[in-house]
Amino acid sequence: MIDVLTETPVQEPQRIRGLEMPWNRVMGSIEGPASAAKALGPWHPQEFVAECVETVPEAGGMMTFVFRRCDGAPLAFRPGQYVNIAFPVNGDDQEPVDRSYSLSSSPTQPWTFSVTVKRDPGGLVSPWVHQNVRPGTVLDMLGPVGAFHLPDADRRARYLFLAAGAGITPIMSMMRTIHSLAGTADVVVLYHGAEAGGFAFHRELAYIASVDSRIKVFYALGDRGRPEDWEGFSGRLTSAMIDEVAPDANGRQVYACGPEGYLNSATELLRKVGVDDTSIYMEFFSGDRQTLLEYQAELALAADIAGEIAEDIAESAEDYFESQPAAFGMYEPGYDEDGTLQATGLALEAVGPEAPAAAATPAPAPEAQAPDASSFDTVGTGSLTLSFMRTGINVRIDPEEPILGVAQRAGVRIGANCKEGMCGSCKVVRLSGEIDMNHQGGIRKREIDAGKFLPCCSTARTDMVIDA
Amino acid sequence: MTTSVNAPLSARGKLASAMPAEQLAEITELFALRRTGYSLDAPFYTDPTIFKLDMEAIFGQHWIFAGSVAELPEPGDYITVDYGPYSLIVLRTDEGDVNVLHNVCRHRGARVLTEAAGSTGNLVCGYHSWTYSPEGNLIHASAPGEAKFDKNCFALKRAHSREVAGLIFVCIADVPPADFDETAKIFEPYLAPHDLSKTKIAYQQNIIEEGNWKLVMENNRECYHCDGHPELACSLFPTWGLTEGLIPAHLEEVWDRNKEAQSSLEERCRRYGLPYEVVEELDTRIAGIRISRESLDGEGESFSADGRRLSKKLLGDLRDFRLGRCSMHLQPNSWFHFLGDHVITFGVFPINEHQSLVRTTWLVADDAEEGVDYDLEKLTYTWKQTNLQDKAFVELCQQGAASPAYEPGPYMKSEYQVEAFINWYVQRVQEHLA
Repeated sequence: MIDVLTETPVQEPQRIRGLEMPWNRVMGSIEGPASAAKALGPWHPQEFVAECVETVPEAGGMMTFVFRRCDGAPLAFRPGQYVNIAFPVNGDDQEPVDRSYSLSSSPTQPWTFSVTVKRDPGGLVSPWVHQNVRPGTVLDMLGPVGAFHLPDADRRARYLFLAAGAGITPIMSMMRTIHSLAGTADVVVLYHGAEAGGFAFHRELAYIASVDSRIKVFYALGDRGRPEDWEGFSGRLTSAMIDEVAPDANGRQVYACGPEGYLNSATELLRKVGVDDTSIYMEFFSGDRQTLLEYQAELALAADIAGEIAEDIAESAEDYFESQPAAFGMYEPGYDEDGTLQATGLALEAVGPEAPAAAATPAPAPEAQAPDASSFDTVGTGSLTLSFMRTGINVRIDPEEPILGVAQRAGVRIGANCKEGMCGSCKVVRLSGEIDMNHQGGIRKREIDAGKFLPCCSTARTDMVIDA
Repeated sequence: MTTSVNAPLSARGKLASAMPAEQLAEITELFALRRTGYSLDAPFYTDPTIFKLDMEAIFGQHWIFAGSVAELPEPGDYITVDYGPYSLIVLRTDEGDVNVLHNVCRHRGARVLTEAAGSTGNLVCGYHSWTYSPEGNLIHASAPGEAKFDKNCFALKRAHSREVAGLIFVCIADVPPADFDETAKIFEPYLAPHDLSKTKIAYQQNIIEEGNWKLVMENNRECYHCDGHPELACSLFPTWGLTEGLIPAHLEEVWDRNKEAQSSLEERCRRYGLPYEVVEELDTRIAGIRISRESLDGEGESFSADGRRLSKKLLGDLRDFRLGRCSMHLQPNSWFHFLGDHVITFGVFPINEHQSLVRTTWLVADDAEEGVDYDLEKLTYTWKQTNLQDKAFVELCQQGAASPAYEPGPYMKSEYQVEAFINWYVQRVQEHLA
C-alpha cells in the first residue's frame, strides 16, 4: 500500500445546489427519456423473484444478503424503502412466512440490492434466513414498499439520521445513496448500538465519513457495555446529544429508525430541540399494534397494485406497456406475452471465506432436462397420467378427480388442511401439464405464475408432472 | 447590485423656484423653528404645499424602496409604483437588469401601463399606441405624412435603480445620493442569506391610510404603542425597546427570558456566520438605516402566537428556523422583517398630504406550497391585524393634526427613532431648500 501524504490543502469540491435523485428528471419529464435513465426510475410495487448472489456477515449479529432479480431487471426503489419477502421457513411445500426488510443498498446501484437481517435467536424467520439463504437461493418478493424514504429532489438536503441497532439498514441505504450522488448535502448520523463491537457497517461508515465531507457519523452506546477506551457518546438519546451532533437540528429533515421505545423518545426529544413534526420521518422496526396494522395496509395496497399490474400484463403485455404514461415508462419489467422472463447467466456456486477468488470458476450450467417418469410404477385407471417426481410414481386418473385425493390415495405425501383451496397447505409445484383450479384465496397470483398450485381444488386437464 | 442609469435632467416643476418668496420664507421658517424632541407642527401633516415639497425634497431626491425581486422574477415582469404625482414602471429586462421608466407617455402624457403589476414585451401606450422598448426607446408611432418626426427624441424618461439583496430601490433625482452604496454594504450581508431570488409572493396587501406619510413612518419607528398590538405582542418581548435599568419589577422575569433568547440567538448567528449587531444610522447619513437581528419570544422562529414557524420551508441556505427577526428600517419609506421562514416588506407610498398607500408583501420560499407548507391565513394573520391597528392609530393622529387644538407633543425615550426620523426629514428638506 502506498501512503500518500497530502501536504497542500485540498479544496472543497464544487457542487450543484441540493440533492436530486437520478430518476427525478425522468419522472418529471413528458418526453420519453433515455432508456438508461428509465431503468433507474422507481417502478410500481411488483411481485418478483430474486436470487441471492452474496452473503456478507456484519457486526452485531447481522447479515447482508445481496440479491439480483431473476428477470434481469434492475430493482427500482427509493432509499429507505423495504421489500416484503416470502421465506419458506417450513419447507417448500408449506405456506411461506412473509417478512419485510429495509433495503440497505443504494438504488443508484440498482442491478443488485441488499437486505440486512439481524439474527433474533428467538425469532421464527431470521435464524432460518441466516442459516438457509445462500447464493442461489431464490425467493418471492414484493416491493418496493414504504413512505420512509429520501425525497426525489431536495435543494436544502440537510438531514439528521437517527438509527438504533438494526435501524441502521434503511439509513445505510440513504447514506450510500447520498455518497454516490453529486450535490450539496449536510448529513449527520447518530447511531445507537448496544455494544462497542456491534455497529453494523462501521467500517464503511468510517470510510464514507472520511472521504465525503458532507457526511458526519457519531456513535452512541446504551447504558451498558461501555469499554474504557470508548470515544463515542454514552447513554440513551437525549436532547443534549442531539444538540451536540446537530445544533441546527431544527432546520433539518430527520429520518429515524429503530425500536419503538427509542423512536417514541426521539419524537419527544426532537420536539424539544425544535424540530417540526412535519420534518420527522420514522420507521418502526417493532411497532405497536397500530403501526403494524398500518404496515399491513401498506403491504396490502402494494400487493393490490402489483396484482393489478400483473393481471394487466397477463392480458396483453403489449397493450399494457403502451398504455403507460411516458413518465412511468421507466423500463419494461421482465414480462412478455408469455409471462415472466428469466435472465440467463452464470450459475451460482457458494464460495466459502477461505476459498481463493481465482478458484471460483463457475460450474457448468446443468442441462435443462425434461422430467422423465418413464421408469416409475403406474397405479390406478383413467385417461390421464399424473407423474409425482419425488415420490416416483405415476397415477392414472379421470379428468374430474381432485388431484389431492388421488395423490394421497397413491401414497404421495402432500400436507393438507382445509381441502377447499383456502389455507394453501397443499401447495405444490406443477412441472408440466394444465389444470383447472378453483381456489378460494389460498394461493397468490405470483405463486401461480411461479408454477405452484393447490391440488385440493384442482383437476387435471392434461397429463401432468408434479414436484411432490 | 445592478446598473444605474442617468435620468435626464429636469429642473422644471421645482417647487422652491416656483413658490412666491414670501411663502417659501414661511415654510423655511417652519423647518427652522422645529423643536427637537417634539412632534411636528400641524402644517407638516396637513398642508398641500409642504406635501409638494416632501415629494420634491424627499421622494424626488432619495432612494425609495419600490419592491423586491420576487415581484418581477422573469424578464418582462413589471410593477408600477406611484407616489405623489409620480408613476414609475419598474421592469425586469431580458438581460436580467431592472429598468425604471417614468410611466408617462411622451406623446400626450397618458399612463403607459395601467396595471399595478404584470408582464409585458414592449410597452404600448393605450391611447395612441406609441410603443416603447423595455429600455424605454420609442420604437413605433404611426406618423403618416410626418416628415420631421424623430422617434429618437421621445424615449420614456428613465430613473435610477439599484437591486441589493433582492430589494429594488429607485431614485428619480438627476444625481442620486452617493451614500446609498455604503448603506447597501451595511445591510447586504444581513439580508443576502435569506435569498429573495428564491422566494415568491404569498400575499400582498395594499392599505390606503387616511394619514400623512410621515405619520405612517413615525408610527412604525416606535413600539411605545405596542400594547395596541396584541397579536404582535406574542412575538415581540414585552420588554422590547427597554434597556437594563428601565425594567419594571413585573417584567424582570420576561427580561431574563429576553436576554437568554438573545444570547442563544447570537450564538446561532455566530455559528452560521450571520451578522446580528445593531447598526443605527437613522439620521447620521443620507440613506438612513437601522438594522439588527433580534430574538423573538416563544420558539423564536416566526410571527406566530407560539413563536413557531409559519412556513415549513427555510429560506435560502439558512440552516435553522430559530433566527429571530432581522429587521431593517430605511429612510424614508420602508421597513422589513427577515425571518427564517418568510420575509415581510413594507413600503409607504404617499398619495397626498392626508393619504398614504402602505404596501405589505409576504414572501415565502418559492418551493413552499400553500396549504401544505404554509397556511396563508396563519402566515399573514399577525401583520394583517397589526397593520389594521396601525392604520387606526395613524388616522387618529391625522385627525388630531387637523384640529386647531393640536400642538406638538414630546417624544418619549422609547421614541428616539421617531425623533431620528423627523430629524433626518428636517435635515434633508433644509438641505434641499438651502
